[in-house]
Amino acid sequence: MKIRSDIIRMYRDIHSWVGIVCGLALFIAFYAGAITMFETPLQRWASPPVQFDRPTPLEKTPELVERVLAEYPEAAGRYEIVLQTSPERPARMSWSTGPRGGGTTYFANLGEDGTLQVNSEGPSAVGQLVDDLHRQVGLPFDHEISESIMGTVSLLYFIALVSGVIVLLPTLVKDLFILRIGKNLKRLWLDFHNALGLFSLPFHIIMALTAVVFAFHHQFYDAQRATLGGGGRPPAEAHAEVPDGAEALSPLAIIARLEEQAPAFRPATLQYHFEEEHGLELRVGGVNPRYGMRGSTMGFAGVDPYSGALTMTGYMPGEQDGWFATVTSFFALHFGNFGGNPVRWGYFILGLAGAVLFYTGNLLWIETHRKKRRKGYEDREVRQTRAAKVLGALTVGISLGCVAGISLTIAAAKLLPQWVDNVAGWHFGLYYAVFLSAIAWAFVRGAARGSVELLYASAAATLAIPFTSLVSAVVPGLGWNHGGSTYLIDLVAVAGVFALVALARKTAQRIRSAPEESIWFAGRTVRGAAKDTGPVGVSSTA
Amino acid sequence: MSTQKLTSRNWFGKASAGAIPGFALSLALCGLFARFGPGEVGFFSAQAQVTMWLMSPLWACILSFCFLFQSGARAWLWLGGANVVLWGLLYGSALPVG
Repeated sequence: MKIRSDIIRMYRDIHSWVGIVCGLALFIAFYAGAITMFETPLQRWASPPVQFDRPTPLEKTPELVERVLAEYPEAAGRYEIVLQTSPERPARMSWSTGPRGGGTTYFANLGEDGTLQVNSEGPSAVGQLVDDLHRQVGLPFDHEISESIMGTVSLLYFIALVSGVIVLLPTLVKDLFILRIGKNLKRLWLDFHNALGLFSLPFHIIMALTAVVFAFHHQFYDAQRATLGGGGRPPAEAHAEVPDGAEALSPLAIIARLEEQAPAFRPATLQYHFEEEHGLELRVGGVNPRYGMRGSTMGFAGVDPYSGALTMTGYMPGEQDGWFATVTSFFALHFGNFGGNPVRWGYFILGLAGAVLFYTGNLLWIETHRKKRRKGYEDREVRQTRAAKVLGALTVGISLGCVAGISLTIAAAKLLPQWVDNVAGWHFGLYYAVFLSAIAWAFVRGAARGSVELLYASAAATLAIPFTSLVSAVVPGLGWNHGGSTYLIDLVAVAGVFALVALARKTAQRIRSAPEESIWFAGRTVRGAAKDTGPVGVSSTA
Repeated sequence: MSTQKLTSRNWFGKASAGAIPGFALSLALCGLFARFGPGEVGFFSAQAQVTMWLMSPLWACILSFCFLFQSGARAWLWLGGANVVLWGLLYGSALPVG
């Protein structure tokens, strides 16, 4: 395809600059996002065993609710019943204090002797931390400011996608199926970056456009209402008159009624919400394996708590009209919650590939920037510019700091509850301690040496994940293992260790043979050794 | 049209045009979708949600392609002009959409 060369050049500049501005934030968002694909097994892996002797039988739930509401009247506004308890959903009933559940979450169960057991030791906080990193890359600002920043990053990310494709178009047919493995390592990286970007383009377009909405939907709604009309409060939902003395149905009865009305829907949670003005409301969370879902792991159905009749099916997988199904598809495409495990793995790999895309993009920028500056000044001493050095260190420090930090804070999940009180705070602190030290380390040691050392550090931190599982298995009273799908976490971590060690070794080879002006140059020139440095023939044209 | 070569040097004028009149233009296009198409503007009906979602691809595309204007001034002029036409159409046809 022919495109005017000035357009190509302009978009190449734009691609470099928006890439540089948002690449590192996107690395964190994608790496953490890939991990959230296995949120449920990770949460189970990281959460302590259920504290209660055994879950309250479902048929006794009304008694449990009654007892809790008598002793903890503040729970009446909003509480949740879990139909299948597990380490990450430890109790039959739970509720949160504070506005919109922002405070402490309490869990309640009935003991076998009928005593009410309540505690606030919930599932691990590590899942929430990874999710926060995914959504706000750990920006230390107010939620709204972080969201606007991430929305802007997402817009820039879309511009980077468009400009990258435009730049690639003229040579697309020639370049697409080529990986030039040879003398020119930068060419190899560029081919790799292009192939990765182009083959995962639909995924990236989806992520960019949905993330813009996730960040800016308030602003979009407000702007549309202000300029296009249609404002005002929504019409009050029609609530059927509740006859005096009517009793809410028991959870078992609700399940039975749902089974009649939507047999393919598998309910998982019953969320009750009570306000004076509209009485008791019930939202049932659940899945239908044949459909994508509005929430990351669940869809929702509005149910009349007194009759069990479906009142709102807009977000209920399998029961939606075309418009709601369309809206849901945007969410499902972002969350990858359709198609079961194959799609989850696909999203996991695409997410990691996205992180690699941004990492390679940054390194390409640095090398190109250096070459450009050199053009016409070949006689002068070739040195890295300060900008390239800083960006090199930032790229290595932030990316690997994020990898190592997430690994270490996950590994700590099985040990922290035994040693400290503020588990969530410790998870947060551990992540940031590793993350910030890695950045500092990359600056002190330089991008080249720093990257090898930080890759080994990341491998060690990741190895700590299966190691804590192993220690939990052999040392009595320390940690736990829940078996089942949680072994997946340990296995993926082991695979990650191998990948990180391989990368570390490869990078070490590279810096031994890098030319002086490359960011991979580590201070010693051993060009004679370049010949036997491995299969790709790493040589002096970095 | 002059045949002046495009460059990334005057990016700020073009990008700001993509951001500001570009945003207003996306709004107007959503308005057309609601006014003359099946969309809605309002609270949480699915149609209103789709209308809101449209903002994202529209604005992102305008932001991506606004660099094809010769200069920042032209970008502001064209995008601003398109706004005048579309908003005129919207407010002229019926007030307000809903």
